[in-house]
Amino acid sequence: MTSSSKPPFPALLKWPALASVAMLGLSGCSVANSDAGAASSNTVRVVLGQEPPTLEACESNLTSTGVVVRSNVTEPLIERNPQSGELEPKLATEWKATTDTEWTLKLREGVTFQDGTPFNAEAAAFTIERAVNSKLGCNVEGYVFGDADLAVKAVDATTLTVTTPEPDPILPLRLSFLEVVPTSTSATEKVREPIGTGPYKIEKWDAGQKITLSSWDGYWGDKPAYAKAEYQWRSESSVRAAMITSGEADVAMGLSPDDNIGGLGVDYPNNETVALRLDANEAPLNDIRVRQAINYALDKEGIVNSLYQGKHQVAAQLVPEGIVGHNAELKGWPFDLDKAKSLVAEAKAAGVDTSAQISLVVRSAQFPKITELAQVLQEQLSQAGLNVKLKMLETSQHLTYQVRPFADDEGAVALMTQHGNQAGDAAFTVDQYMLSTGAQSYFGTPEFDAMIKKADAASGEERKKDFEEIFAYQNDKVVQFAHISHQTGIIGKAKSVNYTPNSSSGDELRVSEMTPAN
Amino acid sequence: MKSSLTEGVAPDQLPVAHEHQNEKNDGKQDGRLSLFRLLLKDRFATVSALILVFVGLTALVGPALMGDLATKQNLLFANKAPFTLAHGWEYFLGSDSLGRSMLARLVVASRTTLSVALPAVAVALFVGSLWGVWAGYHRGWRENVSMRIADVIMSFPSLLLAVVVLYVFSPSAANIVLILALTRIPIYLRTARAESAELQSRTFVDAARTFGAKPNAIIVRHVIPVVLPTLLTLATLEFCYVMLAESSLSFLGIGIQPPDVSWGLMVSQGRQYLQTAWWLSIFPGVAIVVTTIAANVLAAWLRIATDPAQRWRLALPRKRLIARIPAKEAKP
Amino acid sequence: MLIYLRKRIVSSALPLVVVIVGVFALARMTGNPASLYLPLNATQQMRDDFTARNGLDQPLLVQMADYFGGVLRLDFGQSLRTGQDAAAMALRAFPATLQLAATTMVLAVLLALVVGCWAALKPNGIADRISSFVSMAAASIPDFWLAIVGIWVFAITLGWLPTSGVSGAGAWVLPIATLLLRPFGVLVQIVRGSMVSALSEPYIKLARSRGAGELRVVTHHALRNAAAPALTVAGDLTVGLVNGAVVVETIFGWPGIGKLMIDSILQRDFAVLQAAVLLTAVAIFALNILIDMGYALLDARVRPVTVKA
Repeated sequence: MTSSSKPPFPALLKWPALASVAMLGLSGCSVANSDAGAASSNTVRVVLGQEPPTLEACESNLTSTGVVVRSNVTEPLIERNPQSGELEPKLATEWKATTDTEWTLKLREGVTFQDGTPFNAEAAAFTIERAVNSKLGCNVEGYVFGDADLAVKAVDATTLTVTTPEPDPILPLRLSFLEVVPTSTSATEKVREPIGTGPYKIEKWDAGQKITLSSWDGYWGDKPAYAKAEYQWRSESSVRAAMITSGEADVAMGLSPDDNIGGLGVDYPNNETVALRLDANEAPLNDIRVRQAINYALDKEGIVNSLYQGKHQVAAQLVPEGIVGHNAELKGWPFDLDKAKSLVAEAKAAGVDTSAQISLVVRSAQFPKITELAQVLQEQLSQAGLNVKLKMLETSQHLTYQVRPFADDEGAVALMTQHGNQAGDAAFTVDQYMLSTGAQSYFGTPEFDAMIKKADAASGEERKKDFEEIFAYQNDKVVQFAHISHQTGIIGKAKSVNYTPNSSSGDELRVSEMTPAN
Repeated sequence: MKSSLTEGVAPDQLPVAHEHQNEKNDGKQDGRLSLFRLLLKDRFATVSALILVFVGLTALVGPALMGDLATKQNLLFANKAPFTLAHGWEYFLGSDSLGRSMLARLVVASRTTLSVALPAVAVALFVGSLWGVWAGYHRGWRENVSMRIADVIMSFPSLLLAVVVLYVFSPSAANIVLILALTRIPIYLRTARAESAELQSRTFVDAARTFGAKPNAIIVRHVIPVVLPTLLTLATLEFCYVMLAESSLSFLGIGIQPPDVSWGLMVSQGRQYLQTAWWLSIFPGVAIVVTTIAANVLAAWLRIATDPAQRWRLALPRKRLIARIPAKEAKP
Repeated sequence: MLIYLRKRIVSSALPLVVVIVGVFALARMTGNPASLYLPLNATQQMRDDFTARNGLDQPLLVQMADYFGGVLRLDFGQSLRTGQDAAAMALRAFPATLQLAATTMVLAVLLALVVGCWAALKPNGIADRISSFVSMAAASIPDFWLAIVGIWVFAITLGWLPTSGVSGAGAWVLPIATLLLRPFGVLVQIVRGSMVSALSEPYIKLARSRGAGELRVVTHHALRNAAAPALTVAGDLTVGLVNGAVVVETIFGWPGIGKLMIDSILQRDFAVLQAAVLLTAVAIFALNILIDMGYALLDARVRPVTVKA
């Protein structure tokens, strides 16, 4: 074979070049040449952990949706102040219970939606009908209202009555989860980009890349400081932190203490509590001494101080301070390994199979350093003489252990749960976690169930006291939970932005509360 | 058999293949010995081989020596910096986020890592090679069907396949081995098929056929010994790939699960401490890189050493080698 | 050539169906998505409603028949997560990955050709040693780890590049560099190997004796022979890039199909997963055919009919 029989070499080099041109051509619109997100002083750039699946208003109780939509694009009738826990007027100016089951709301006048239509009782009634009574399958319906339907009536343009099938002392709180949309919103399909009455409207959603909100001129309240808000998302928390350090973002959600963001990290109590939930239906957890031993065996102080740099607080109950029903008297179980060992020995002597395996079921990547925490818990429980197997699962598999009907292929399960009470009332915690039939409860007692039912129907100071008793009773008599810590969230914040996060910032990030620092 | 193989090549050309014959003969001795001598002549290959032996020995006996050091936690002693003997030899490489000895964890992780990578490579090699040789020898529909199956496996991104399968079946070491093996079978299948298809038309195979040998016998006695060196070289390279794939699975949270530990898992878990405690992810990363480079170097060497047309090069002093390359006709 | 092409396309159709059936069945074995999409305290009634609304209560075969019926009408179903058309979501994400992969592969091939030739000129010389070490190291580093170290060094410490995202040319550098390393490392070794043997062929000697310059000898004569194996390997590596894309897109927030697929698996968004896998598989089959054709063009001795029988 001689060289002359071969085509000249340049044909070879052309191949990849041609291919690349062809491929780039094929791919049509370019992703990368969209406008370079130049920082301008009237835009605040936020980086989230994930892209919102939708911005549908009736799904805004989902963290990833609510963080963009709530109080930015849409607004509720009534709003809960995350600092004081008090309900405050928003689109409703006042509300009162007119009978046992009927509430009457007075609505704000002079409010218009971003499409120009006026806000009135009809729109408010439509919102409730759409979210709670329709076949849409809204997430907020299941989360806040359950199967019960509400009867809604627009009495006149600014008066609305809501009737519940049972007396419901916290209906206004429940209503605070509903974001109001105009009657032009589809009642049969979910809407990805809602219209609301909020200070910002959705300008553009570049799927996969970013969402831009721009300030709306017709807003009924004060005009916010930033003309635009841009949302991006990165799943690695270290990358989110890096975007703050490098000046590519102004606010970063959900950072870890090890992202080393220094002075740019702002701590805030995020209302999340971590605990082990113990399955008393299986040996050895069916013995209360073993469950107590687990509480004694966990070195909560050590965990909080070394893993979380002292930023979390040792927990003694499922809800942190600031939630109605939090019992300030309760102290975390002391760390006492000897006591734990002797309790296990006692149970063993009484015929409990303390060598039976306990599965420690943990969700991977649920919160920062969860893998480390899980390994520490496993080690400490093993020290107490228990046979613990660590089981790290992804979200969907973890859910089969977390909610009813529980996966039953295992022996005893100690499930690590991270519970956040967004609502501010202990009922949202207790009904789920402590009723013997609760969606996330392994067991209960008839007596305990009665206490819970009573508290649910109570109001005011009595309600508070009832729930406080419930938390104390769980620790003394039931011991379904081994509480670990109340968490602290970290938000990354550039120096150019003034913003103070609060306990609801993770679910509802109000851009109107942010101002440029200079 | 010997006579048919000697077409234009020396009898000791296939030292690796000889290992698979259970008969004791001089050819085997020679092949092994000279391969070993050749190895010693190449400094880089020698070092690589030593590294791999060291890693292998560590994985074999290391965990026993470390006792419970790798799991003993001390929260007050977390993230201690490496390269100081102040805290005792076991903390020479620092401590991790739970105060465990990095050294001990690296040693224990080496066993998990190898016990995933080696079986995965072995299973894929075994199944893929036999299947490929069989398909290539028979050609026709068997070949077609096999290649389409390979296409199917190859057209599904292996990482995603692994994630889906490990969600269905739990991410235990055995399942990780199986899924990694499954996704790598087509590599061997294709190579073995190509080589075997080429061989089946060659004279010595023809000769065996005319003498009435059964297809399976021909495959075992004549085809496999010739194809094996290429496949073993490929397997050495694949070993690197599988180790990296295992670490990618850890990144996606679906690889080896704590409290077990592998190098890939250590890199993955350590990444969040990159800025505060770099050694948590750098050391296991270095372990992966060094091991894979060693395997790579050895594979490159093996490729030449087992290729009769190139093997002579290794025996020559370096200077003459370069000068003589253009003069040699390298066609078997 | 056209007959060959048609034959290849027809014979690829069946594997595509197998891929989809496999994904369909496997995905549904990972569990009912109801609990992921409903509030934690959802009642059994709500779960049943959800399951029925999405047709997940039907037997698997019925679901599959429904799905293929839809596919024939180009209806790939709706995303559980976003409520959007699954095919539209996959098509929207595809170009981002294609651009990334194409740029990466072109760069990897070009760089590997240059470095591989350079190394092959003097086998066992300094250049050869350096390039083989570098290429081996490049192919041995876990990609996610490299990506994070890259962000740390180039975006945070040095401030030369943006950490992530898709805005501006700078944002391409880190993802491409991360994706590039493995194909580059493997290709350098392939190119070097085949160049070394090509340079020892008699026709090279002939060309040299005719007074051709060294550069001309390498580029005009030897490289052509060395390119065919590199092309084959490059094809396989491109398929492997999809794996790399899953990791790289996750870290850098690149809105591509790798991220879409891994998110759909995590969220049990079956329709989107199926659409994305189908699209990827079609692209990979097309790529394989292209490679075979390129191979045939490069090497006249290989008739298309004999390629992969």
